[in-house]
Amino acid sequence: MPTLGLIRRGTPTPPGDLWTRLEARRRERDELVHVAMPSIGWGELAAVAALLAVVAVVPDPLGFLVASGML
Amino acid sequence: MVRRRELLAYLIGAGIAGTILVGPYVLRIIAGELFMPGHAVPVVPVVLLPIVWGVWNLLWARRHPPLSIGIWGAVLGLAAAAGINAYLLATRVWFGAAALLIVFLPVVYWLLWRLVVGPLNEALGVEGERGGRSRPS
Repeated sequence: MPTLGLIRRGTPTPPGDLWTRLEARRRERDELVHVAMPSIGWGELAAVAALLAVVAVVPDPLGFLVASGML
Repeated sequence: MVRRRELLAYLIGAGIAGTILVGPYVLRIIAGELFMPGHAVPVVPVVLLPIVWGVWNLLWARRHPPLSIGIWGAVLGLAAAAGINAYLLATRVWFGAAALLIVFLPVVYWLLWRLVVGPLNEALGVEGERGGRSRPS
């Protein structure tokens, strides 16, 4: 038997499912993340109302919001 | 070397502030053109916000201050308001209503840090060992 044939016989055939295994490994690491939002209470609503009131009261709302960095 | 939690905290803060920059860089132009064409408005260097927010969240993860995340954000809002007023004064474009930022920005930041930064910190594991503890806001 030629040497090349002996080497081929001694080496196991590589599995043909490399992509499948890679995809499975990627899915294993790609865990789901649960973002738990805090409940919106009266404090948050009062804060939003106060912010809207300030914007409504200032003489130049656009300039005020631009200066605040929010716009 | 930097700890993974701290790097993640920086990226969360910088990412949220970077997203907020859509306001100054897109909505401002649209709003200005629609409502006040040709009206000059004082512009502050908000481009620094992602760095400041990232560092502030990194400090939150590193120092474990005995405050809620909302109050921690409000402190940054207070510092930002003071900085903005100083900047407006230095560039001689200060206006009276800018003083209201001292109250306005801490409330805005309190809301954003409590409702956005805090939950993301919790979800991505930045809170570490104190993640399981519930804190008042």
